[in-house]
Amino acid sequence: MTGPAGGGTGAPAVGAEVPSAGAEGVSRLGVRFLRERWRVLVRLGGWSVLETGQTFLTGYAPARALDDGFLAGRPETGLAWLGVAGLGVVVGAYGTARVYAAVAALVEALRDRLVARVVSRGVREADRGALSGLTQQVEIARDTFAGLVMVSRSFLFTSVGALIGLFSLDPLLLLVVGPPLLAGVALFAATLRPLARRQEAFLVADEALADDLGTVCPGLRDITAAGAEQRTAADTGRRIDAELRTARSLAHWSVLRVVSLAVGGQLPIVLLLAAAPWLLAHGVTTGALVGALTYVTQSLLPALRNLVHGLGTSGSRLVVVLRRLVRGSPAGNGPEDHRAPSPAGRHEAGAQDAGRGTGPAVPPSPETDPGPDHTPCPAAAREADGRGREGAPVAGTTPSPRNPRHRSAPGPDSPAPRPAPKTSTDPADNAPVLSLCSVTFAYGPSAAPVIDGLDLTLPPGAHLAVVGPSGIGKSTLTALAAGLLEPRAGTVRVCGLPVAEAGTRRVLIPQEAYVFTGTLAENLGYLRPEPVPEAELLAAAETVGLAPLLETLGGPAGRVDPAALSAGERQLIALTRAFVSYAPLVLLDEATCHLDPAAEERAERAFAARPGGTLVVVAHRISSARRADRVLVMDGHRTAYGTHDRLLRDSALYRDLVGGWAPVPSGRSEPALALRDADRVDTVAGPGLAGDGRHVVAHRPVGQVQAPGDLRDGGPLGGQG
Amino acid sequence: MTTCAEDDLAASAARHSILHCVVLCLASTAATGAGLLLPAALGRALDLLLAHDPATRWVLYCAGLVLLLALLDACQTVLSGAVDARTTAWLRRRLTGHVLDVGPRAAARFGPGDLVARLVGNAAQAGTAPAARATLVAALAGPVGGVVALCLIDPWLAVVFLAGAPVLALLLRTLSRDTSQCVAHYQEVQGRIASALAEAVAGHRTVAAAGTTDRETARILRPLPELSRAGHRMWQVQGRAAGQAMAVAPLLQLAVVAVAGVLLTRHRLSVGEVLAAWRYAVLAAGVGVLVGQLAGLARARAAAGRLGEVLTEPAPAYGRRRLPPGPGRLELRGVTARRGGRTVLDGVDLVVPGGTTLAVVGRSGAGKSLLAAVAGRLADPDAGEVLLDGVPLPELTHDALRHAVGHAFERPSLLAGTVEDTIGFGLPSPSPARIREAARTARADDFVRRLPHGYATPCADAPRSGGESQRLGLARAFAHGGRLLILDDALSSLDTVTEAHITKALVTGGPGSTRLLIAHRAATAAKADAVAWLDGGRVRAVGPHQELCREAGYRAVFGELAPEAEEGAS
Repeated sequence: MTGPAGGGTGAPAVGAEVPSAGAEGVSRLGVRFLRERWRVLVRLGGWSVLETGQTFLTGYAPARALDDGFLAGRPETGLAWLGVAGLGVVVGAYGTARVYAAVAALVEALRDRLVARVVSRGVREADRGALSGLTQQVEIARDTFAGLVMVSRSFLFTSVGALIGLFSLDPLLLLVVGPPLLAGVALFAATLRPLARRQEAFLVADEALADDLGTVCPGLRDITAAGAEQRTAADTGRRIDAELRTARSLAHWSVLRVVSLAVGGQLPIVLLLAAAPWLLAHGVTTGALVGALTYVTQSLLPALRNLVHGLGTSGSRLVVVLRRLVRGSPAGNGPEDHRAPSPAGRHEAGAQDAGRGTGPAVPPSPETDPGPDHTPCPAAAREADGRGREGAPVAGTTPSPRNPRHRSAPGPDSPAPRPAPKTSTDPADNAPVLSLCSVTFAYGPSAAPVIDGLDLTLPPGAHLAVVGPSGIGKSTLTALAAGLLEPRAGTVRVCGLPVAEAGTRRVLIPQEAYVFTGTLAENLGYLRPEPVPEAELLAAAETVGLAPLLETLGGPAGRVDPAALSAGERQLIALTRAFVSYAPLVLLDEATCHLDPAAEERAERAFAARPGGTLVVVAHRISSARRADRVLVMDGHRTAYGTHDRLLRDSALYRDLVGGWAPVPSGRSEPALALRDADRVDTVAGPGLAGDGRHVVAHRPVGQVQAPGDLRDGGPLGGQG
Repeated sequence: MTTCAEDDLAASAARHSILHCVVLCLASTAATGAGLLLPAALGRALDLLLAHDPATRWVLYCAGLVLLLALLDACQTVLSGAVDARTTAWLRRRLTGHVLDVGPRAAARFGPGDLVARLVGNAAQAGTAPAARATLVAALAGPVGGVVALCLIDPWLAVVFLAGAPVLALLLRTLSRDTSQCVAHYQEVQGRIASALAEAVAGHRTVAAAGTTDRETARILRPLPELSRAGHRMWQVQGRAAGQAMAVAPLLQLAVVAVAGVLLTRHRLSVGEVLAAWRYAVLAAGVGVLVGQLAGLARARAAAGRLGEVLTEPAPAYGRRRLPPGPGRLELRGVTARRGGRTVLDGVDLVVPGGTTLAVVGRSGAGKSLLAAVAGRLADPDAGEVLLDGVPLPELTHDALRHAVGHAFERPSLLAGTVEDTIGFGLPSPSPARIREAARTARADDFVRRLPHGYATPCADAPRSGGESQRLGLARAFAHGGRLLILDDALSSLDTVTEAHITKALVTGGPGSTRLLIAHRAATAAKADAVAWLDGGRVRAVGPHQELCREAGYRAVFGELAPEAEEGAS
């Protein structure tokens, strides 16, 4: 399943987990599990006693049949005793059937618990490995655990039955059979651990080989193309050899099992024969001798064989599998190997390692790099102060004194003010809906930051489009705003609250829309604590553009099968779900990429007009940026911020991005600035430019936010914090 | 054909460990023989002991037999383990080597997942065949010998046993029918949980952002009680079946003992013989083991058959010629290629002069990808030939061909361990500078440096979008170099700006190499020296983009109607 860990800081590889520690953890959990189920164990023991009885009769009845019946010339007595033995077999078989039910109570409880654990870990960590955990490893655990319980229980109750039988036939017999049996069991117990280690080494090698082939086979085309057939064959060959070595060593160590079987099961036969004259002289009857031989060959030897083979293989398999499954227990750290579909979702673990307080990669400067706890963000504070009245744009903002590079006057192409968002009863109403203050984020301690010192403030009702080349960090930005990632430095606030506490105030719709099997109403009301009234659902569907699908599915009560829907249909469901949520801040991370332009426009406009709603759209098409009243251009090292028209004029990257979609419409008509201000962020992108040091703001290369003053709420948007 | 290959494979696999197998066969047969002798010796010794006759010799025989059994058992354990392991490893090495030689065709024919299943699971199953075959004689000798021995002691004993046996078989059959039904129900419920989990994992970002992790977990686990019930039911059915099975064999044995006891009272048998008869009845009932072994052999044979299928896929042969010095002129002559009975490329003639860039465009299904594969000999055409600087590709040695041609794909498989290894994949000893240079050209350098460990980040841990994977794949192709570079839709997931930069770097990449680009966007085609317009497997026109653009049909290839409709910035 999951490959070796490696993200974050030097986490040990999964395969190299310290075995003994894991085994102890597993055994401790195992003991607790069994203690909690002592009633089941009692029931199990109770039914197993029937098996003990059967074993007892296996030797005792024939002994009496010989002594009292066949040898005494009374065949009917002999047959009667054999009949008793037969009855014992039937009763014992009934006991066995009931034993299975008791075993089921143990095994299914374990299975339930493992499934719950795997599912909760899978949901929490978006671990695709959880699927194979669920369908394969849990089943292996279930089967091996059942086998283990059956085998050890059977050995216990069978040997007790046989030993009691021997004792009642003649205590002397016990003296002959007991010691070698004990010696055999002891020998087996002593070899259990080394054997289990070999077994585990084999399983690990086998898994490594399967993993290797699992990457080679889908990559055959690339291997051929690179001409790397020989090298790959050699690599895989090494894994095959490693597996062969462990299998061989396992086979060699298995001899120990044969030895303990021979000592515990076969030796008593010889000893019984050797001691026969002495036994017979001491009053042991013919029947008792035959009975003793029967106990050894029919009961003890098979039970011991099952124990030796069952415990040796299933035991170590169970421990290995359980250790894997228990790995993600709450105490332990989550694994780094996330295979979430989005880049942002995958590295929480790494991000936490790099979390607050660790030295940022950027040279810290007290003035420009306020620490994480350096709260009230100047920009946010200014925003809160300057805005005064609820939702009303403040014209002619004062430029920040600490940010002389900002353009201060509103531009001629200032967008018409949007209608003020409708009254919201939110208590944190006068705070900006989203404020990022000097936010820096990197995926690892030694990694270059994805976002560096970004400041951004959105008032209620704002509509922001984020554009930039792929992989530049747009999704990371939404993940930060949604609290999925924690910044290395800086603060993120939603509606004035730290982002971690603002769970109900923002909703993130990612590119891969989440639709689950269930009714449409369940899917749409997912973000609401209470069921959503049908009328509201219908209205929302109409507004967002879901109505036709809603009709096809048979209304809100219709069943949804995610696999049967197109990607666009799934996105419409996710969008409508966000629409009916109470969250004032909606983050659409390419959430409309599978819709056609008209559908996209309809959905976006619906959100923009949403009462009290603030919208952040990671743009998939440039039209999204045109519709927004402000645009953030991300370019890795710099950001530019402004209206569509202004950015067309000022940002070369933005022009490039727009040029990919359409001829520059308005920008051309604008008088291009003859000379850029020297202090203006220049986003000319070109090969080799990245990281070449020609940054406008030398001490703060990344995350410069250019804030044209022409936005209705003006200056507070930008600044260097 | 298949059976032939499969038998070949089985025979070669067995030949690989022939000595082991012969010894194993002898050891197991000897062990069975000793096992069959032991009850008789035991009975004889017991009779002598009961009669107070000197029995030391027979007791020693018994001890010897027990010791021999233990030794042979140990020998058998080690040998069969070793033979299984050797055979499996041999099969796997043989198969992986072949699969790698066949290359993409193998993955195309069987599917990668199925190939892995064959190489891992089926090879392990098929690997048990030689040992199982070697011990078959022994497994057969046990029950047969038991019945014969019963017959020798007294024919009546054998008659009783054989009469009871059919009952046993009948009961065992009801068992298998019963369980399969509840297993199916169990798996169905389990499947429901698994698919809900798969949905939630795919929707991870939504769930995490909404903070509904616990609610999701509860929702997914809703069918758990039903699963539990199905599981209990399975054990119940299995328990009943096990109870039946466990009752049958001992009852059969008791019947034999009863008859033996009656014969004892009539003095036709001794006590020792009764004991021996009981043991033989147990041995004879071991027929279940034989059945199991036969079923295992059948499975192993079927698995070997599936491996044999893989071997029948022929590996392409390489020639012995090297490339003469040249600019990398690529020529396709009358290339026809069929896939699944459909002619995908139909007599394609195409020349790409050395050092130039040719873009290949066409609607989906026009055969563009197959053309790219044929041009770099990732596939062989059914007719016609492909020449690089005048040499037909099949005449080139493996190394000459693969060094000369670099590939980048729409969805590259990133194979080696770290990002650095991945970019340098296939190169003998890539220098870090070369790798970083290639990454910069592919505009991957930036995001690689932002990974947790930069270039040393394991690929599996690197967060990758489609565009990032493509850029790593491109970097690999650039690092690979060669006189012909083939980009099979390798820019499709890039944003327009990045694509423009990479295309520019490609087209002005110097005279060193010839480029073949499969393109989807008009902007890409516009930058190439010439465009080949593929339609229905034929070249409809070749020329500069501007010229071809006059035709509406050509423009329609790009789906270019409203500029807004085109793909966007990320």
